[in-house]
Formats: sequence, structure tokens, C-alpha cells
Amino acid sequence: MNFLVSASTDKGIKKNTNQDSLAIKVAETTIGKITLALVCDGMGGLQQGEVASANLTLAFSNWFDNDLPQLLQHGIEDYKIYQEWNQIIQTENKKILLYGRQQGINLGTTIVAALFTNNRYYILNIGDSRVYEIKDSIRLLTQDQTVVENEFRKGLLTREQADNDSRRSVLLQCVGAIQNVVPEMLYGNIQKDAVYMLCSDGFRHVISTQELYEHLNPNVLISKEVMKQQSELLIELNKSRMEQDNITVSLIRTF
Amino acid sequence: MLEIGSIVDGKYKILNKIGQGGMSIVYLAMNERANKQWAIKEVRKDGVKDFEVVKQGLIVEIDMLKRLSHPNLPSIIDVIDQKDNFLIVMDYIQGNSLKNKLDEFGAQSQELVIEWAKQLSDVLGYLHTRKPAIIYRDMKPSNIMLKPDGKLTLIDFGTAREYKEKNLADTTCLGTIGYAAPEQFGGKGQTDGRTDIYCLGATLYHLVTGMNPSEPPYEIKPIREINSSLSSGLEKIILKCTQRNPEDRYQNCAELTYALEHYEEIDDIFRKRQKKKLAIFIMTVFFAIVSLGAGIGFGKAAEAKTDEQYEDVIAEANSLTNEDSIRETLKKAISIKPGDKEAYINLIESYYNPQYGDENDIYNFSVDEAQEIEEILNDFGSDLKENKSNYVEVSYELAKAYFFYYTYGNEDKSGDNENAKYKAAKKWYRNVIDYSDENIFLYWNESKIYYEISEYYTSIGDWENTGDFKGKYIEYFNNYLQLFTLASDNKKINNDNIKLRMYQLFSSAIAAKTEKFINDGVLIEDIRNLLHQMQTEINSIENPDSNLESLISSININNKKIEIKLQAMSGS
Repeated sequence: MNFLVSASTDKGIKKNTNQDSLAIKVAETTIGKITLALVCDGMGGLQQGEVASANLTLAFSNWFDNDLPQLLQHGIEDYKIYQEWNQIIQTENKKILLYGRQQGINLGTTIVAALFTNNRYYILNIGDSRVYEIKDSIRLLTQDQTVVENEFRKGLLTREQADNDSRRSVLLQCVGAIQNVVPEMLYGNIQKDAVYMLCSDGFRHVISTQELYEHLNPNVLISKEVMKQQSELLIELNKSRMEQDNITVSLIRTF
Repeated sequence: MLEIGSIVDGKYKILNKIGQGGMSIVYLAMNERANKQWAIKEVRKDGVKDFEVVKQGLIVEIDMLKRLSHPNLPSIIDVIDQKDNFLIVMDYIQGNSLKNKLDEFGAQSQELVIEWAKQLSDVLGYLHTRKPAIIYRDMKPSNIMLKPDGKLTLIDFGTAREYKEKNLADTTCLGTIGYAAPEQFGGKGQTDGRTDIYCLGATLYHLVTGMNPSEPPYEIKPIREINSSLSSGLEKIILKCTQRNPEDRYQNCAELTYALEHYEEIDDIFRKRQKKKLAIFIMTVFFAIVSLGAGIGFGKAAEAKTDEQYEDVIAEANSLTNEDSIRETLKKAISIKPGDKEAYINLIESYYNPQYGDENDIYNFSVDEAQEIEEILNDFGSDLKENKSNYVEVSYELAKAYFFYYTYGNEDKSGDNENAKYKAAKKWYRNVIDYSDENIFLYWNESKIYYEISEYYTSIGDWENTGDFKGKYIEYFNNYLQLFTLASDNKKINNDNIKLRMYQLFSSAIAAKTEKFINDGVLIEDIRNLLHQMQTEINSIENPDSNLESLISSININNKKIEIKLQAMSGS
């Protein structure tokens, strides 16, 4: 499988700093091309929010450079990816928690990490950043780990109530703020000629899924340049609609 | 930031920092003239957005707090307004927060939680009935201190309402905002006393189940789904406190306090017990009539009859060979005379001692067995407690079963297993310590050491996370030495199996962390000495059976590991 990739981020119109972090890496390996993409949405008081997201991004990026080659020698398996990623999450969670305690602040970060190999995708999710798959239609692969989504799934709120609930930005879990973090892991077969989109919540609050599909479907995204253009166009659209948050989007187009 | 050693307001000497929150730091201070310790909370003005806006509210609220007086509240005695900060001088509360207690011991006993609930409901009621009403808004275990005398104090008091509003524009994580009630998230609904009742319900839930409602599965379930031995009365109370809609909760703390004082009456088990009591009464009358016919005083006869019946059933159990029938018979004995210790002790031994099973059985105490005895003790514990010494002996036996033989999750060999084992043992050793003393119970000192060792295993993870383990390894090494001396004294522990299990415990702990013990100041020669003495003791065991053999070989492997590590370290 081949990949075209692009990534864009913007601190938005309201905040003084960009607390989102991202990474996107492609490597040529013995089993073909492999892509790692991740988006982390940091949170925390004052100037500290990006500490959490940047550290976690770095940890995954290091894993890709140093540990993945060894894993490839023994063969990739779903559970091995889970084990190694979960290990990173637990270690970073403790580190950030300790840092927060020492500084007397609450900080934390969401994460979506996605690894794409020749035929399979592996996605780890904590928080409310998202991964979509866009081909003939647009499909949300991850589930938001928020209080309102949880209540919606339990039938306590309707979709409309959930979208308008004052608690919609309260996450059930994130990395670096609580003792026990349980990552959600997804696996699936990757589609050819599809687009995989990772984004922070700031990218999709005020943009409809129809709009996402129109701008980001594989028929539109035919080159790196177009991918970059479309990302920036949607970021500007977000800002013109008064989105308050940092805005981040990464795109992976398969062919 | 106050400087350690500096004098504030001409009288308070800052001794050290004891806590830190988002915008405040708490110090321990000493009024040297009065020779009294105080806590000083520093609210930094630069840490607060729009400080001038909140300042007025803060002053008014603190003035009001200064006038509060309740046994479960710290007194605020002084407020000092400085250029860069606000200093609030208040009682220094000695003790531990309930959060620490939860972290350390997990779920707390129901009786204790209900006792605490009454105190908390009382203090919230006091606050809600001030004019104007004060809403606390931040009830959670980390804000409740347990003083050595068993009384609770609500802390983190004296911060203005403005500080506690949840800021919802930004993304937050559920775990960091406490047990916020639905109406606390702004938008719809005002917060009032019923908000505190919600948070108190969530706190009680956490305390009695050990499950944090802010962690998966993110809900407050009926507590008996988590621990079936809990009271249905308490379950109803917690569910009512934590209804989404404030209208469906207790409407004020007086209602809640009333429910807490009468929780047994809304309890299903209570109703069953009432029925059971009636059955016993009818039986007694029946015996009475019979014995009147025989011309014997009737009260004594019933009692004698029970004793006789009990002895018969115990004897019957002793004569049986099938493990299951022995246990069923012993359980029957317990129900006949729940205040006596013998049936419990035999039952506990039947769980772990392979003599009660088939020939190939090994020493083990399984999760199901543990659950069974815990339930039995929950049902009959109050009868057993009527005689403290019986309760202590049973607690000691159960603690021992957990400590040496508990096989929780043995198959995965993870730290969870060890943790569960020592946590459970710790709880029962604690009972021994609390319900007796060294002049009453022969194994009190020993229990105390086992308790410390269990404590070491359950908290080792925490130290390693926080890096705060200086002095702990040396402390535990000394505990090992004491236990070792006890174990070697045959009068105290006349059981090769227990002795060897203890050696195995020491050797594997030291083998796993040899460097840490040494780095903490344990002398290499002290470790060698211990190993040597262990060897001598092992050699003196005559004709070890296969169970003992396997323990010995495991100890030998550990000791070899230790020796290799010691050589490497003394060589460098």
C-alpha cells in the first residue's frame, strides 16, 4: 500500500498557545510502507498544556523510530502493538501525573494514534480526538470518551441533548490526569483509495460530516498539495465560524 | 511563595509546605509565643484571573467562615491580606485524608462508612442552615481528614465560590473535577444543598465499594452488585443521594441523617433477621416446654441444649473425611452458635490445609473460599465480636490464611496477585491489632509485624511511583529480622510450613530488590547473616515432605540469586 500524507495545525482565534501536538511518519520497511499518525490535544492551566501532548507525541515517535523495527523482525500482531502502546501510555501517564503534582497543576492530553501497514490499521484512542475513514461515505472509527457520549450510549440522553449538554467537554479519561488509564484499541483492514483523517475536537465542532466528506473524499485528495490546501481551507472555515479551540488535522490517503 | 523559616505577621513561623493546589499552597506554621501549630493557606493573587473581581467576595466569605463553629470544621482564626497573597490561618488538622485511606486499604467497612456519613451529613446540614446558606460543592475523599480520634474534618474550606465554578469552556477530565453533580456543570439548574447531597452520596459510594465513580464504568451502581454482602438499606440511601434530578434526592441533610440512623430498618437483611429471630423464639419456647416437663430451669436448658448441639455438630465435622461435608457441617455449627470461635477456625483451616482434601492437594486458599468466609463473617461477625478474644483469634487465623495461602489470580503471576493477598491479610491483622494488645493476645506482636510487612507490599508500588522510599527498605529489613527471630522460636511458630513460607517471602523480596535494600543502608553482612541462619534452620527440618521440599528449593534459588548480587556489589 502507498500513502500520501499531510498534517496541519493552528492555534485558532482565542487561545494564546497551541496545546495540540501531532506527528506523522512514513517508513519503507521489509513488509512495505508503514505510516504512523497521531494527534494529541493537550489541556491544562496557563502555559503548561502542551507539555503533556508534546511528551506523549514524542514517546510514540520514538517508538516508531526505535522499537518498531524490532517488532517487524518478529512479525506484527494486533496484541503486540497493543502491549507496546499500552506500555507507552502507562509510562507517560505516570510521568505527566508526577510532573503535574510537582508543579501543583492539573494537566493532561487526549491521544489518537494510528498505524497503517500494508493491509491493516491499528488505532489507539483516549479522549475525544477522532479518526474517520472516508471512501464512498464518511465513517467515524473511534468513539469519544466523554461524559455525554457515555450517557448517550446508555440511553440517558438523546443525540441532540448530548450535543448541547453543558458537560460535552468533560472527558471520561485522558493521559496524565488520573491514575488508571485504559486505552481503547481498534484494529481493521485498511481500504485502498481511502482517506483516513485524524483530528482534534477543535476541527469538527462547527463543521458538518457532509462538509468533511465533500472536502476530504479520496476523489478530491489526489495530491499532497490538494490535501494541504483542503486542510487549511477547513481550518479557516472553522475560524470564520468562531471555533474557540486549537485546530489540528492529519490526513492519510491510501493508493 | 512563603519562605520556609520566615516569620509572617510578626508571629507565625513558616515550618514547611504541606500541600499544594491549583492556586494555593498550604504551610505548616508555628506561633512561637503561644507554642501552637497552625496551617496557613496562601492564595496567590497572581495565580487568580481577575483577582480584584473575586477579592471582595473572598473577603465576605472568609468573614463568614470565621464565625463558623462545628466539630467537623477547622476554625479559621486569622486572615492576612498581603501585597501578593492572601493568608488564611486555620487549625492544623493532624491525620490522614480518606483518599489516602482508600488508596491504602481499598473499600472501607460499612459500619465505619455509615458512622462517617452521619458526621458528614451533620456538618453539611450545619452549613446549609447558615444564613445565607453555605454550599460546600467539593465533597470528596481527599477533602475529608480522619483525625486520630476517629472524627472527620472537612478541609479545603475558605476558598471563594468563584474558585470552585467548573470552567467548562476548556476540556477537562472527569477524574480531576471530583464527583460533580449534573447541575454543577453550569447552564441549566442552580446548585444548592442538594448538590452537596449528591457529592456526599458519590463519596460514600467510593468509600464503601472502593470504586471511584469517576473511573470506568463511570456510574454509580447499586452497591450490592459490587459487594453482595453490603446492606440494601445503605444501597437505597446512596442511590437516592445520587439521583440525576435534584428533586429525586433527599431534599435536605436532616432527611439524609434520619435515613442513615435508620438504615437497618430499610434493609432487606434486617427484615430477614427479624423473621429469623421469631423462628429462634419459637424454638426456645418449644425447648422450654420440654424441659419444664423434665423439671429443669428453662433458660439454662435452652442454653445447655445449644451448647450440646454445637459440640455434637463440631464433633460430627471432625469425624467426616469429605472436604465439602466437613465445611457444610462447620457452617451449620456456626449458625447454631455464631459467638464461638472453634467452628470458624476449623472452617478456615479446612480451606487451606491439604489434609482436608485429597492426597495430591496443596496448600491454598482460593478466591471462592475467601468470599465464602468473608460473607459468613459479615453475617455473623457481630455475634462473634461480642467476645473480643474470639474475634481476635478468628481474625488472626483468617489473616494467616490470606498471608500465606491466598491464591488470588495465581495463574497470571502479576503484581495484582501479591497485592490482593497482602491487602486482605492487612485488613485482618489490623483487626487483631485493634481488638487486642500484647498483654492479651500471644500473637499480637507477631501480627503487628505481619501487618507492617503487608503494608510494605501494598505500598511499594506507590513509593516507586513517587520516588519516596528512603528509609523504607531498611525499616522492612528490620521487620524481617524480627519476624525471623519469632519464626525461629519454635514455641511461637511450631509449624515448618509457615516457617518456610516466611523464609521464601524474605528471600524472594530481597532477591528482587537487593540493590535497593543495600542502597537504603542495609549492610551486606546483615543480609549474609540472615541467609546463613535461614540455611541452618532449613537444615534442621527433619524429613520434609514434597510441599516443604518445593519451598526449600525455591528459597535456595532465591538465596543464590542474592549471593550473586551481593558478590557483584561488594566487588565493585
